[in-house]
Amino acid sequence: MAGSLYVHFLIAILTMAATHAPARIGSLWHQRMQTLKEYEVVRDGNIFGTSFSNSVVFSSEYDQARQQLDHLISSYQDRSFETVFSGKEVSNECGNCYSLTTPHPLHPPAFDLDHYQNTIMRDLTLVRGIGRATEKRLRARGYQTLYDLTGHPKYRSHVQPVIDCMCSEDSHDIMDLVGRRHAKSHPLVLGAAGLHELQDYVFLDLETMGLFSRPIILFGIGVIENGALNVYQYLLRDIADEQAALKETIRHLSGERKALVTFNGKAFDLPYLNDRLGYYGMDTPASTRIPHFDVLHFSRRRWRNQFPSLRLTALEREILHIHREDDIPGQMVPEFYETYLRTGNCGPLVPIVEHNRQDIISLALLFFHLMGESYGC
Amino acid sequence: MAVDDVIRLLTTNPVYRDRVVHTEIIEPGPPQYGTLDTPLSDSIISYLDQNGIRLYSHQCDAINRIRAGKNVILTTPTASGKTLAFNIPVFTALNADPEARALYLYPTKALSNDQLATLEQMAHYTGISAKPAIYDGDTPQSRRAAIRDNSRIIISNPHEIHQVLSWHMKWRPLFANLRYIVIDEAHRYRGVFGSHIAMLMRRLSRLCLHYGSRPQFILSTATLANPVEFSQRLTGHPFELVNGNGSPHGRKHFVLYNPFYDGVGERSTHQETKDLLVSCVKNNLQTLCFTGSRKMAELVTLWAREDARRFSAQLADTICAYRAGYLPEDRRAIETHLKEGVMKGVVSTNALELGIDIGSLDAVIISGYPGTMMSTWQQAGRAGRKGDVSLALLVAQANPLDQYFMNHPEQFFSRSHEHAIVDTENPYIVSGHLLCAAAELPLREDADREFFGDSFPQLLPELASTDLVRKTARGWVYSGRGRAADLVSLGGIPGETFRIMCHGRLIETMDRAQAYREAHKGAILLHQGEMYLVKEMDLETHTVRVTEADVNYYTQPLKEVDLAIIETLETRELNGVKCAFGVVEVTEQYTGYKIKRGDTIIGVEPLTLPPLTFRTKAFWLIPSPDTEQNVLKGNLDFAGGLHGAEHAIIALMPLHVMCDRRDIGGLSSAAYGENGEPVIFVYDGYEGGIGLAEKAFEILPDLFATAHALVRDCRCDDGCPSCIYSPKCGNDNQPLDKIATTLILGELCKEPEKSESAGYVDAAGVVFS
Repeated sequence: MAGSLYVHFLIAILTMAATHAPARIGSLWHQRMQTLKEYEVVRDGNIFGTSFSNSVVFSSEYDQARQQLDHLISSYQDRSFETVFSGKEVSNECGNCYSLTTPHPLHPPAFDLDHYQNTIMRDLTLVRGIGRATEKRLRARGYQTLYDLTGHPKYRSHVQPVIDCMCSEDSHDIMDLVGRRHAKSHPLVLGAAGLHELQDYVFLDLETMGLFSRPIILFGIGVIENGALNVYQYLLRDIADEQAALKETIRHLSGERKALVTFNGKAFDLPYLNDRLGYYGMDTPASTRIPHFDVLHFSRRRWRNQFPSLRLTALEREILHIHREDDIPGQMVPEFYETYLRTGNCGPLVPIVEHNRQDIISLALLFFHLMGESYGC
Repeated sequence: MAVDDVIRLLTTNPVYRDRVVHTEIIEPGPPQYGTLDTPLSDSIISYLDQNGIRLYSHQCDAINRIRAGKNVILTTPTASGKTLAFNIPVFTALNADPEARALYLYPTKALSNDQLATLEQMAHYTGISAKPAIYDGDTPQSRRAAIRDNSRIIISNPHEIHQVLSWHMKWRPLFANLRYIVIDEAHRYRGVFGSHIAMLMRRLSRLCLHYGSRPQFILSTATLANPVEFSQRLTGHPFELVNGNGSPHGRKHFVLYNPFYDGVGERSTHQETKDLLVSCVKNNLQTLCFTGSRKMAELVTLWAREDARRFSAQLADTICAYRAGYLPEDRRAIETHLKEGVMKGVVSTNALELGIDIGSLDAVIISGYPGTMMSTWQQAGRAGRKGDVSLALLVAQANPLDQYFMNHPEQFFSRSHEHAIVDTENPYIVSGHLLCAAAELPLREDADREFFGDSFPQLLPELASTDLVRKTARGWVYSGRGRAADLVSLGGIPGETFRIMCHGRLIETMDRAQAYREAHKGAILLHQGEMYLVKEMDLETHTVRVTEADVNYYTQPLKEVDLAIIETLETRELNGVKCAFGVVEVTEQYTGYKIKRGDTIIGVEPLTLPPLTFRTKAFWLIPSPDTEQNVLKGNLDFAGGLHGAEHAIIALMPLHVMCDRRDIGGLSSAAYGENGEPVIFVYDGYEGGIGLAEKAFEILPDLFATAHALVRDCRCDDGCPSCIYSPKCGNDNQPLDKIATTLILGELCKEPEKSESAGYVDAAGVVFS
């Protein structure tokens, strides 16, 4: 009896005591954070090690990046954000953020639209029920194009929606239809991009604090304006800028005929963007119907088994002959940004911005390279 | 009746007869039926009719209250039909609203599987499109999206929910339409684990509200002393209790069986357990046997199969082991065989302890007291499900706690159930979940008080000081570079996993501590009753390589525990006793292993494993030289007194700091460190500490006073489980000296002179003291 009275008495006391924050909590969690690893550092040349996980950094790259970090910290001491990054503040209904703009010359190949449309029109397998064998048989009997099939007793009802779709010049629907009949990485899917004007393309690449559920710290967007590729970068001075930067990014994606171009954006950038919009309770991009060309998928189909790696940096080296200097591994971006947040020294941001800008440029070049290979003239 | 045959065997066989120290007969009870306030839908009525079900009084009570919108906690015993009591209102809601959804949380995979089968059957019979599905770590990636979008009853576990909350955008269909959250076996969520779950439930409620739902909670638990308080703390909502059991139950014979009845004990508890298991299985009793460790589960299985094989090979094949580390498909096969009756004897750790409805089990053998009365009755409740006569056996171990119950059966059958403690104020736990919450949606100091209490905003600047969160116009935003949910481990168990490989095939996984204990080089590892010899343990790649082995020995590791003070953060003096709080480093070192055949040691081999070390927070006290002199003058055992005081203090920690005694560790020494001073340490059993010792240090006088009263007022002579015996003592409760304990604790809370505190005098002149 006495025991149970005591219990109630003590519970009352404990409930009244307010939670006070012991001074060690922040550092406790910070220490735990240091033990979380989202990538593995593996011995150089250990190709075997890379097959287990996508997230590996070779030890030479790692050591070099750590040295670079120390070097950046000392050389950017006492330099303000604005002097290191010459950009401008942007305001919108979600707040303020900081925008950097750099133009890059670009010479996209001319796109042979006739060639693309002819290829489509000659592809009888786009019609439901027609496979390779049937197509061959049909050709032998004189059915060369989709138009010819409109007279076919069996396929005539199936072919009309295909022709309608192709004539609509709606790239989203065409990608969808071709992707369903072929693979989603089929060159005819990529070719749908040719239905767009150059100014429709939005090249997107995000730098984040890690793999999902964390802030996006740099939004990189490439847009072709007046014959040049303009790279817009929204770099967070603080996490508080994220919402305004999201808003700016959405603005680039809104518009009549925009087409999104990414490298691995179907798995990463676009879901991440939607994740952060949901986090802030913002609407997802005005049009979820925006056609999305993920260059990783087309690259895989094109160069699978030719190169040991299909990462963007590997492809740009092999295909575009671009060699980056002072680049940091993408996986190490979070710790560089974290160092900036903690110290206020913006040196660690320099290679992040550079890395992202090069990613956008390489993405655009690789995209046009693939387009040119298939439908250039 | 086979049960009667075994009971006759127990009373006639000379070996068994001597060891049966007590048989308690729990009389059968008839069914009590109830009525519903509103009739059920036709489809549910016909489901009940087809299955010949008439609802018991407690089921009706629960259904009525749930349908009236109340949060309900059910505490009726195992097999009383709790599941149906919450499935009926859930299906009713799904039937009425085609968008409505429910989330069921189970602590184990076995329970999830079982509930899935029940729900599928109910959906099939009623034609209500519930599409129940399990969503957990075993769910293939390819099925996940469809389950999230289409399943209207999702079965999961707290660990999975902890991981998925940050993906809430993908879960919109569930969160926007969630009507019920069912938490079955909720008593599992107590102590530190419970405190984590309490915060998890608040995160879940917060996301539901964000998407526009306010789900009702339905909890089911074992018998607790404080069900309503517990459920309110666990979920943050008010609750109504349903506890009157209307289900019938058969006669149960509860036997206390003491292998050490003669004070010697020819054979070990586990050998005796094996004999009893084989006797039950031979008599065609479907028997569930619980052992304290997974290793003993494997050994008892192995021995029992060997014994049974002498009788018939077929019989040997009906005995198997079951434990949590098995691969999902192996576990499922065992569960199915058990239900189909193919399996006769299953030896388990507590993975099977609770609530899966595996049909009729005739007997339960509990090998060693499981540590709480709640677990004991839960395990015993697994026998006698269909109203038939059943048998429960508690086989005592040699330790004083088990022996105390064997000598005092009346204590055993009358001891009250425990309080389940959940702490929602522990800043260490709360802050971790605030990080997770801030990664899910921006934290708003005003609006989120509803979930995290009035004082949570005080923690935010502390978290911001190391850049884990940043304040923005929208609220506090998580800004750490690791995933917040990965920082917070709900059980406080570190996430390192060792893979056990046999000829390149993965046979199981275990954490580092377990791997050191069971899969060190040279160890005989038991898996599914098969023996494996550990050839190599690669600490870098976390891989253990084993080969099949056929040997007639087993291995047992030797462990040393050490504790070093890293930093003294605070000190205080109480009645001349120096007390301190600070950071300590606890080190567990496996130094070797014994090779044993039966109970005989046939060899000892050294081990060179790195020590397992964790830093945590502790308080410690150094009794004065005077006390030591007093104890020694009385010809008492000083070390036994310190040890007893350590146990008593730990036993009463949960009263004060709201935790489970398993969350705390202790160490006492008559001559510690360089100064050779006597000392008692009490530490948080979790890496980094979880604030338990810290809070206890603030209230030391209260803690000491209650510990002293506990020992002083206990009517035993030499110490007993009610005072200084600890069920989790690493030294088998040796040495202990009750009188010395009382002296030491008495000094800690020495009452000031009578004249200063003789109580107080009220207006009428009556003295209270």
